[in-house]
Amino acid sequence: MTGMLDPIYRRFPALLMARRNIGRTKIRSILAALGIVIGVIAIASLGMFGLTLRYNIQQNLGDIGNQVQVSPASDDSGRLATFSERDIRDIERVAGPDATVVPQKQRFIPVALDRGEPENRIVRGIARPSEIYEARSGSIPDPYRSGALVGATLAEENDLEPGSTITVDGSTVRVLAVLEASQGLGFSNVGDSVILPANRLGDRGWDQVTITTESSTRANQTAVALREELNDRRERVEVQDFSDIADSIGQTFQTLNLFLIGIGSISLLVAGISILNVMLMSTVERREEIGVMRAVGFQKMDVLKIMLSEATLLGFVGGVVGIVFSVAAGMIINHVITGTVTTAFRPQNFVYIGLAFAFGVGTALLSGFYPAWKAANERPVDALRG
Amino acid sequence: MAVIEARDVVKRYETGGETLTALKGIDFAVEAGEFVSIMGPSGSGKTTLLNLLGLLDDPSEGQILLDGEDVTGLSERERTRARKRTIGFVFQNFYLIPTLTARENVEIPALFDHDPTVTDRATDLLERVGLGDRLEHRPDELSGGQKQRVAISRSLINEPRVVLADEPTGNLDRETGRQILDEFVSVTEQDVAVIAVTHDELVNEYVDRKVELVDGYMGEDAPVSTGSAGGTVGGAADRSVDSQGASERTGAADDSDDEDASGTDAGTTTDPFLSDPEEGGGGDRNA
Repeated sequence: MTGMLDPIYRRFPALLMARRNIGRTKIRSILAALGIVIGVIAIASLGMFGLTLRYNIQQNLGDIGNQVQVSPASDDSGRLATFSERDIRDIERVAGPDATVVPQKQRFIPVALDRGEPENRIVRGIARPSEIYEARSGSIPDPYRSGALVGATLAEENDLEPGSTITVDGSTVRVLAVLEASQGLGFSNVGDSVILPANRLGDRGWDQVTITTESSTRANQTAVALREELNDRRERVEVQDFSDIADSIGQTFQTLNLFLIGIGSISLLVAGISILNVMLMSTVERREEIGVMRAVGFQKMDVLKIMLSEATLLGFVGGVVGIVFSVAAGMIINHVITGTVTTAFRPQNFVYIGLAFAFGVGTALLSGFYPAWKAANERPVDALRG
Repeated sequence: MAVIEARDVVKRYETGGETLTALKGIDFAVEAGEFVSIMGPSGSGKTTLLNLLGLLDDPSEGQILLDGEDVTGLSERERTRARKRTIGFVFQNFYLIPTLTARENVEIPALFDHDPTVTDRATDLLERVGLGDRLEHRPDELSGGQKQRVAISRSLINEPRVVLADEPTGNLDRETGRQILDEFVSVTEQDVAVIAVTHDELVNEYVDRKVELVDGYMGEDAPVSTGSAGGTVGGAADRSVDSQGASERTGAADDSDDEDASGTDAGTTTDPFLSDPEEGGGGDRNA
């Protein structure tokens, strides 16, 4: 075992001395290193926890950032404004060919879902719903000329399935599909909506346009472009996008993460104090030994090197053990939060592990400095006097 | 030329506003290959003198010369380097590092030199003191005498000019003490001077000359030496009668040598029974 390390010790003799000294007071050294182990685990796993949580919530909020909702600006007359076909074409032009532009009409009309009394509900009219919705059961026809689509929540609450019939504004309509509940908080959330073909809701213009882009950044750009290009002479559109909310959610998690890491750092601080204590005791106990080393020709720097090697070695061993446990902790955290272990191996998790390791070794080194300095600067005459 | 020399050395300590003068003007020189003992009661300044000669401390006044070169007022760093190059230390408590093997302990002074020959030299030194079969033993697996032999080997690893020994036989029984002193004699045979600070009269059976330190003065310089020095001399005489038979057995010393007395500094005395002409009389050998 030690034979394998001989060349290293020969190259770095301070490390040999350090290794032997640590072995001298095994329990004490193990306890000091354990402090670092705990500190590293705390920082790494709290960091990974925050990261996994953020990642998971971003997954769940999914579409939150990549949609833009455009409504007509209300004019001075107070009448409810709508978009004309020309307005829609303008919006499509600004949004670009990559974006999906889905105009819709909204009416508040009586709907009977089973044989009960009709209630007033929001009914949306959409020309091509297949562009933004997926069917959980049944299928969404394209082109969409007849039949109704219902949201998943509504379907569950009222036992609706493809083939069921509902009554909208007095006429019976067959349900063609139950829509998949969309992930997150997008504008296209249809949990309890009823969707009909757009032409079934009259000739009045479009009430709203939902634009879906690739990413939240792109959504934000589109929103800015719409405001700039369509509102230049008079206020034609009101544009809403989630990029601000997405940003602030991201920032909240960043803050949460920093806070968690801060808590973890406290345990490293405690570990540092414990190493400081161990090293100070060690210098007191080895006072004469250090005096002899100075007498036989060790420079102050040599003593400093030995003592710092000792502290670093404690930190290094503690750090390595800490990493092993942190990876295990990361796998457990990811299993609990995301249900899969493999997400523990995301590169950003390793950033936290690396960070924790560096902090661990750094703390040990820093704590070793004062005792090392003290040992190195003791006059050999005083040390040998006992 | 003396390998190590103290010229009119004064050492004062400040303790709690009071000034204590430990050494009051010491002139002392040791030639290469000489074995000298510094005797004296507790508090006479023996250890202080050894610290000054060993470059562990700076004198308040006067000079310390190594090979004729003034080393007083050197920087800490230079002093450490000079100490490493020229001086070996042997202590009463051995001061071996408990976590290192005998061989590693001997290598210690050369640890940071990255010298590939140091292991061989350490092995060689330990074999010379009869510890060839104890190379990989830790200090707690060695007897007192063996530890002190390891310490002697350690003091020699950097091929010093002087070995300073502080009560080298203080923690050893008489027989083991003799073995250690024999080792010192063979060290001096290689032209290395040995200065031993001691209470132990046994040492004087082996030395080339003996120096008395009383109350911060050396030998005859002491103003009131009669009382205490007389006591010491008396004690020494008693013990040398005791040990004469023993020294004949070991063969370490058997003849008297008057030249010795004339060749040494003022204030030193030589035991007429116990000095070996071959070891003593530095003048012949240094010529």
